[in-house]
Amino acid sequence: MTKRIFRTILATSFVVLLVGIAVIIGILYPYFGGQLEKELENEASYLSLSVEKDGVAALEQLPHSSSTRITLIASDGAVLYDSQADAAQMENHADREEIRDAMENGSGKAWRQSDTLDEQNIYYALRLSNGNVLRISSAQRSVVSLVLGVLQPLLWVALLLIILAAVFASRASKKIVAPLNSLDLENPEKNDIYDEVAPLLTKIDRQQKTIRQQLAEAKHRQEEFSLITSHMSEGLLVLDSRMDLLSYNESALRLLGVSEEKSSYVGKNILVLNRNEAFREVIESSLAGHHSETLLSLNDLSCQIIANPVLTDGTVAGAVLLLVDVTEKTQREAIRREFTANVSHELKTPLTSISGFAELLQNGIAKPEDTKKFAGRIFDEAQRLITLVSDIIKISQIDEGHLPYTAENVDLRSLISGVLDRLRPAAERADISLSLREGNASLETVAPILEEILYNLVDNAIKYNKKGGKVAVSVEKDGRQTRIRVQDTGIGIPPAQQQRIFERFYRVDKSHSKEIGGTGLGLSIVKHGAAYLGAQILVESTPGEGSTFTLVWDSTC
Amino acid sequence: MRTKFDEQLNQLHVDLIKMGSLCEEAITLAAQALLREPGADPQKVFSLETEIDQLEWEIESHCMRLLLRQQPMARDLRSVSAALKIISDMERIGDQAADIAELTPYIADCALQNKLHIKDMAKEAVSMVTGSVDAYVKEDLDLVQKVIDQDDTVDALFNQVKTELIELVQEKGTDAQAALDLLMAAKYFERIGDHAVNVAEWVEYSLTGVHKSSEHHPALC
Repeated sequence: MTKRIFRTILATSFVVLLVGIAVIIGILYPYFGGQLEKELENEASYLSLSVEKDGVAALEQLPHSSSTRITLIASDGAVLYDSQADAAQMENHADREEIRDAMENGSGKAWRQSDTLDEQNIYYALRLSNGNVLRISSAQRSVVSLVLGVLQPLLWVALLLIILAAVFASRASKKIVAPLNSLDLENPEKNDIYDEVAPLLTKIDRQQKTIRQQLAEAKHRQEEFSLITSHMSEGLLVLDSRMDLLSYNESALRLLGVSEEKSSYVGKNILVLNRNEAFREVIESSLAGHHSETLLSLNDLSCQIIANPVLTDGTVAGAVLLLVDVTEKTQREAIRREFTANVSHELKTPLTSISGFAELLQNGIAKPEDTKKFAGRIFDEAQRLITLVSDIIKISQIDEGHLPYTAENVDLRSLISGVLDRLRPAAERADISLSLREGNASLETVAPILEEILYNLVDNAIKYNKKGGKVAVSVEKDGRQTRIRVQDTGIGIPPAQQQRIFERFYRVDKSHSKEIGGTGLGLSIVKHGAAYLGAQILVESTPGEGSTFTLVWDSTC
Repeated sequence: MRTKFDEQLNQLHVDLIKMGSLCEEAITLAAQALLREPGADPQKVFSLETEIDQLEWEIESHCMRLLLRQQPMARDLRSVSAALKIISDMERIGDQAADIAELTPYIADCALQNKLHIKDMAKEAVSMVTGSVDAYVKEDLDLVQKVIDQDDTVDALFNQVKTELIELVQEKGTDAQAALDLLMAAKYFERIGDHAVNVAEWVEYSLTGVHKSSEHHPALC
């Protein structure tokens, strides 16, 4: 803008300068002509005095001048003298305009293109008293040659003027633009400059307000979004088409096992977070426009990854990845599968025996004296099946939580002694002494389930005991905690397996399970039952010395 | 104008990460096959090795195109030239993983592996490869140093395995063929460690502009 103003001012001054010079020359030229005429008149009148006195001789004595031409002409038109040409050879001048005028009127003048010299000549003729005519002429230069003559000084002046104009133009343009440059665009309404700019400023002000509003809105939305995503337990990753991260939440970093958050990962390639092949394939497939899923094992987590392409106008602009922690689900599924396999196996074993013995009886291969023995085996196996199935039913009932029992106030001591009484015959067979220690408490609980739990614990304590061993049960109430402890002096459980004993069908010593009997579901029933009653179950055990199972209730009131 | 170049550099970065993760997988699988871990399949190592070779060729021509057409400067030039060096080391890692996998059928005595420290060697070598790829991915100089330091452990373990094998052959008359094959495997792990160090050093060069070897060859700076 400064430049444009500068150029405009300069061009204007230049045009004005040119026009000015032309006008001045136009005025000066005729003025110079008039001046010259007067000079010639004066000169002619001076000369005429001396010519009238001395004749031609007076003229011949005059020094030759190149600018002024003096001619003396006789009254018949013959040239008597000429200062610049040979008089004898010159033609008759009688018909010349100025001569004719002079002969008739005493003086005459004419402007003419000179024959001999390529100039515009001004002639002035004066009639002398003897009838001769004295003519003085002088060359008047043409306008062009006049201008050419003064060209150099004129150029200097023009140059000077142009420089001056340039300086002023530059100053003026800067001064005009300066207030525009120092506009306070943050507060456009507060500026007080040119009226022409005011509408623009108002518009800027309005737009700024809109922008501020939209920015605040966008920021608000962004905060809302990050607030939502940061509180998600699922991981969320948003990618652009170049696999660079646009957005992510903390859960995603946690699930991918990226612990140290040194700096923001936004703009970094997603493979920086994880470069597992399955992970990369899912991303590549989603960026190729397909919905894809995969299960990824990361450290000790199982993570389901769901990748969806983001399409804009039919092209893939990026992808959204959702990471779901399915560790628990996978584990539970594994446990369920294992349970089904175990149940089938446990059911099949007695059924195979039953079928085998029944086949022997059917074919009559069995000797009559063995028939009773075989029938006894079939009965035993059938009993085993019944126990197993009823155990499974118990577990699933407790598992489902649909039990037809209601809680009541139970006297624990009498409940325990009832359980011990039922198991005393078995204990006596195994040469194990059962005892109930001092102490009592009452509890709001479901009696049949607690009975089942204690039956299983004491039964185990008898089964996995040494000959002549002891089983002691105690009840304690200590402030808000109620504890039932079943202690034995048995074979104990190795520390590594203490966590697994509550699993269904888990046996510490698989090779001896047949001799000891049992279904492998006892402690599983204990665990589920305890959970149903809201009790905690604790195990302490030293291999070779014995185990202690403790049921703990934290009463809330 | 430059955005295309940036995109190509980004593609190079992604391809290198891909190649690195393939190497990690190959060496992990080879180690598992050697140690007779359940589910290990030496055949998969061979297909991975082919894939790594293919990728090396692709990345190499990609780098050449970048150098010729874009004439990268300064840091960009460093990352392209470092990439050229890194891929050749990674390719060697893939080859050696395949070599180890090739040895596994000949080491029939699976009890022998457990007596030696070769398990620790395998673990260390795998962690070095992972570390060097991690260093590249995360542009982390601490990881570079860690990998370089780890090389001493692998070297020491190699010597230990060698001594153990000599002892076994001399005193207990163990099958010499299996012993030699195991020594080869140990040597491969040791070489893999060296290549991982090379990769780490080139990562350092691409990040800082200073390569370890520049003390002897100042022209690299």
